[in-house]
Amino acid sequence: MKKKLAMLMAATMVFGLTACGSSDDSAAKDDTAKTDDAAKDDAAADDAADSDAAASDGEFKADVNGDGKIIVGYISKNLTDPFHGPINESGTQKLDALVDEGVIDEWTGILDGNTDGPTQINCAQDCISKGCDYVIILPAEAEASDPAVVQMAEAGIHVVVVNSKTNSTDDLAMLYSGSDDVQAGEMMGNYIIEKCPDGGKYVHCNGILGNSAQIQRTEGIANTLGANEKFEMVADEDTQWKGDLAANAATNAMAQYGDELVAIVCDNDDMSSAAQTACNSNGRSDIFCIGVDGNQTPLQMIKDGELGATVYQDGVGQLGAAIDAIVESINSGSAPAEKEIMVDFVLVTSENVDEYLQ
Amino acid sequence: MAVKTEKKVLGMERETFRQLMGKYGVSLIMVVMIIAIAIYNPRFLSGTNLINVITQVSINGMLAFGMCLCITIGGIDLTVGAQLALVGVIMGQVITNSGMPVIVGVLVGVGMATLFGFINGFFIAKFNMFPFVVTLSMQLVIRGAAQVISGGRAITFDATVKNMYYGKFLGIPYPILALIVVFILMYIMFHWMKLGRYILAVGGNANAAVASGVNEMKIRIICHTLSGLLAGIAGVIMAAKTGTGQSNIGVSYETDAVAAAVIGGTSFAGGIATMPGVMIGILIVGFIYNGINMIGIDANWQSIIRGLVIIATVMLDMAINGKNRK
Amino acid sequence: MNNKDEYIFECEGISKAFGGTQALSDVQLHVKKGEVLALLGENGAGKSTLMKAVIGLHQPDTGTMTFDGKPYSAKGPVDAMKAGISMIHQELNPEPYLTIAESIFLNREDMRGIILDKKKQNKRAQEILDQFDFPYPATTLMGKLTLAQMQMVEIIKAVSCDARMVIMDEPTSSLDSEETNHLFKTIRDLKARGVAIIYISHRMEEIFEICDSVAVFRDGTYVGARSMDGVTRDELISMMVGRQVKNVFPKVDCEIGETVFKVEGLTGEGFEDISFEVHKGEILGLTGLVGSGRSETMRAIFGLDKLTSGKMYLEGQEITIKNPKDAIKKGICMVNEDRKNYGLCLFRSIRENISLPNLPAKQKGLLLNQKREKRECAEVAKKLTVKAASIEHNAFSLSGGNQQKVVIAKWIMANPKVLILDEPTRGVDVGAKSEIHSLMCEFAAKGMAIIMISSELPEIMGMSDRLLIYHEGKLNGEVSRQEILSGAATQEVILTKEFGQK
Repeated sequence: MKKKLAMLMAATMVFGLTACGSSDDSAAKDDTAKTDDAAKDDAAADDAADSDAAASDGEFKADVNGDGKIIVGYISKNLTDPFHGPINESGTQKLDALVDEGVIDEWTGILDGNTDGPTQINCAQDCISKGCDYVIILPAEAEASDPAVVQMAEAGIHVVVVNSKTNSTDDLAMLYSGSDDVQAGEMMGNYIIEKCPDGGKYVHCNGILGNSAQIQRTEGIANTLGANEKFEMVADEDTQWKGDLAANAATNAMAQYGDELVAIVCDNDDMSSAAQTACNSNGRSDIFCIGVDGNQTPLQMIKDGELGATVYQDGVGQLGAAIDAIVESINSGSAPAEKEIMVDFVLVTSENVDEYLQ
Repeated sequence: MAVKTEKKVLGMERETFRQLMGKYGVSLIMVVMIIAIAIYNPRFLSGTNLINVITQVSINGMLAFGMCLCITIGGIDLTVGAQLALVGVIMGQVITNSGMPVIVGVLVGVGMATLFGFINGFFIAKFNMFPFVVTLSMQLVIRGAAQVISGGRAITFDATVKNMYYGKFLGIPYPILALIVVFILMYIMFHWMKLGRYILAVGGNANAAVASGVNEMKIRIICHTLSGLLAGIAGVIMAAKTGTGQSNIGVSYETDAVAAAVIGGTSFAGGIATMPGVMIGILIVGFIYNGINMIGIDANWQSIIRGLVIIATVMLDMAINGKNRK
Repeated sequence: MNNKDEYIFECEGISKAFGGTQALSDVQLHVKKGEVLALLGENGAGKSTLMKAVIGLHQPDTGTMTFDGKPYSAKGPVDAMKAGISMIHQELNPEPYLTIAESIFLNREDMRGIILDKKKQNKRAQEILDQFDFPYPATTLMGKLTLAQMQMVEIIKAVSCDARMVIMDEPTSSLDSEETNHLFKTIRDLKARGVAIIYISHRMEEIFEICDSVAVFRDGTYVGARSMDGVTRDELISMMVGRQVKNVFPKVDCEIGETVFKVEGLTGEGFEDISFEVHKGEILGLTGLVGSGRSETMRAIFGLDKLTSGKMYLEGQEITIKNPKDAIKKGICMVNEDRKNYGLCLFRSIRENISLPNLPAKQKGLLLNQKREKRECAEVAKKLTVKAASIEHNAFSLSGGNQQKVVIAKWIMANPKVLILDEPTRGVDVGAKSEIHSLMCEFAAKGMAIIMISSELPEIMGMSDRLLIYHEGKLNGEVSRQEILSGAATQEVILTKEFGQK
């Protein structure tokens, strides 16, 4: 009895899958030889004709799959960190409004990328299944999230990458809206150089190693502080974007280097605000901590005079620019003229903090 | 008890019915779930989407089969997420950076994961340590090893590696084939071979198993080694899926593996599990993720809904089974 | 029932079904103040279910209960305890790291504000312990006590809660004779205080010794009650089984052949310098007080514990056994006294349990020959009259006697040369008990050498061809079947040897 049922189940599964698979098999027959075809999804094959046209320089269609509806997908980086919270919120408002105005027919809601490449790939496949025409994606990883962009692009979807690039964004995405993280790193470095003309020892707190933001901000810091002979990096900490780990690093460095320590440069300002708090509570408010993003906590600290500065990344602005470009593309029935929108970083100090503090 | 008054259910003896539901009750739940999601969004049932879901669950599937073995002997394997990262970066070093053939990278990667599984089992069985403690610590060791090997950088793969995830045979994606093959092998091992019986016996009552001539230590080591091996295979699929090997991948993938095993009827008390059950559990976890995206549930509620659906599934299954599951 | 006032507890018309199984139907019970009432019946007759209904672990479907003249019902043991009814369970689950005082006052600790008043609590506990001549101070950890002493603590706890009725479920099943006597003394003390006692036991001798009256159950129904004065053992047995059981120990003498297994100077934890041999077709009995080293010796022979010295010979050849796997391979099998921990995987099927030690013999290539396994397990289960609708059912669903038969079945399938049975009939009902005895004779007749351990003297005397008596880890005498049959070796003679006199 048991055995029979098990066999039946296995058989149903195999048969069901073969049946599902066979339809696309025939459709995809003509271009089976290509190597990159490996990455093709079924939907890609189903809509082979449309997608090829859309992906190449041929006729541009807003409704890529011809179902008579414009559907927008939104793959978030995550739902939990304070930088992405406001972005997701503004995305929800803007896209809801577009549905109300009748510009688009529906959108997917915010899909949870869970800061994980494979999860974003799954979300991308779900977007393809849902028949999306435009998908906004805030990649978790430059490498690991890239197949999400590749697969959607090959399915003919107009991919709009926001905030950070994946490897093939330049080739495949309809649009990239973001900021230059190297610029952010350089702004931090120059701020420290300006504030500490005599130089000294500093600590660098990394984001999760391998993140594109971590890599590029680190590069920017290296271009400025690293190239300056007066400064010496005494610790390169694996603090994983986490404030608590950065605070630990700050405490350790203070104990070890005492007055020689002049600055703590962080890849985000969750870490710089935590590090500055640790310094201040140890009577070392003379240490300059700086990070990137412009989250509410560090901004409040700047207003209260506890933190010198932070580098504001206008995430909401990046997303807004991306959505505006999508609306423009739908209305005009063509791809946006510029494939890249760069939103500048802003150095926020006590002088301009009120503009950014909510 | 008075046997004569025993009632029959659907023409079966009550105990027989209970055991049958114990094995297949959860598949009823899956069917209900499929229907419910399909009512919200008919596209859910499209061939494309179903293939997607099953391809997507292949990674968690491998992990869940291994996790099921470890839970069945009364333990757990918390290293599987880190193993994914390790396999990826090893493959990256061997294939991309050293230019060796893909198969060498795969073998070295899977081999290392298997070795770490063996080490888990060795500590647990030989020194009688708690599996939770051993695998929690080894998780740090393995992820650390991945960081050392990769130097914290992502290593990109070319199309040959990616093809292992995106390629198809007779229209079926390779990961699905791998999942089916692993399921069949696990089924044979668990239900048709003496090893499976020994695993169930050690989990059900280790003393009684030893007193029946079972080598308890060997069985524990085998289970953890197999879990390592399966995590290794999952790591290869993961590397092919993302096209990159990097040390920060696969964080907290243990959670879904445990969920799939438990939904599939694996008892944390040990000694109760079936492979078809786990297979269904794997699919249900996949449908939960896919279904949430298909239905378009409000972002902030997704995590809560996921957790509640898992609890509800297990409770419903327990209600169907009576006291068969603890 | 003519004088309602003399009954402290009564119940009428109690029925309880579990799913489709009617565990109790229309059962009654009447308990007088200060009497010891025995509950008698085979395993599964409904005694335990009724008692669980009384203390609120089960809710009866129908029926009424009165306690102390008032309608009574309990939602759980705590409720029952508040009303004045306590139950001492067969299997005790003590917390080894609690002290005796903490254990007695668990959930009703002496408090000073929100702080535990340990001093007062220890003092109160000590007072109660002294009343019962308990040999340890109240601050002793429970883990240091013997099973008998833990049981004593449970009883003391019940009394300290002002229990007016105490239910004891097979209280002597893991006690030796001396401990049993001590327990009986306590029971008489309780009686003198006017406490009613419901006493569940399979041991007829004890019931005749300690009980005032007896209520008999069979298949979930109430058969009847008798005063112990004037009722005979045979009468009670026939009430229980519904038929006349004549020969309680059906020992069949069979031909005793050459030596199969011999040990010399075995020494290990709890026993030293043990030498004996056992022959083909022989049933060798081992007896002694609990903890005298009988089970420890057998566990070491079977490879569950370590031997420090000594030699073993099987069919003339010296053997070493490192673990049970070795022992089984060589043809030495053991039915452990601890069925739950060493005998069965309760949540696996009867079939899987029976075939567990025999799987290597059932392989066809790499796979198991499941057809053959099913057929052979069904055969051996049938031969041993395991009462189950299917061998696919969980061992958990069986009664104690049937579980024990499953354990024996797995070893019979292994077809051993030497079969060790440690307390094979503990917690087994009368019918199954005599079936197990018959089986043992049958195996011996086939040429198996059998070593049997039992604390129940009449049983071991009735079954053994030879009887070895343990005292404090050493052998202290041997008695032959002839001596037993001729009346030269009486229970008294053997008991004195158990207590150390030559």
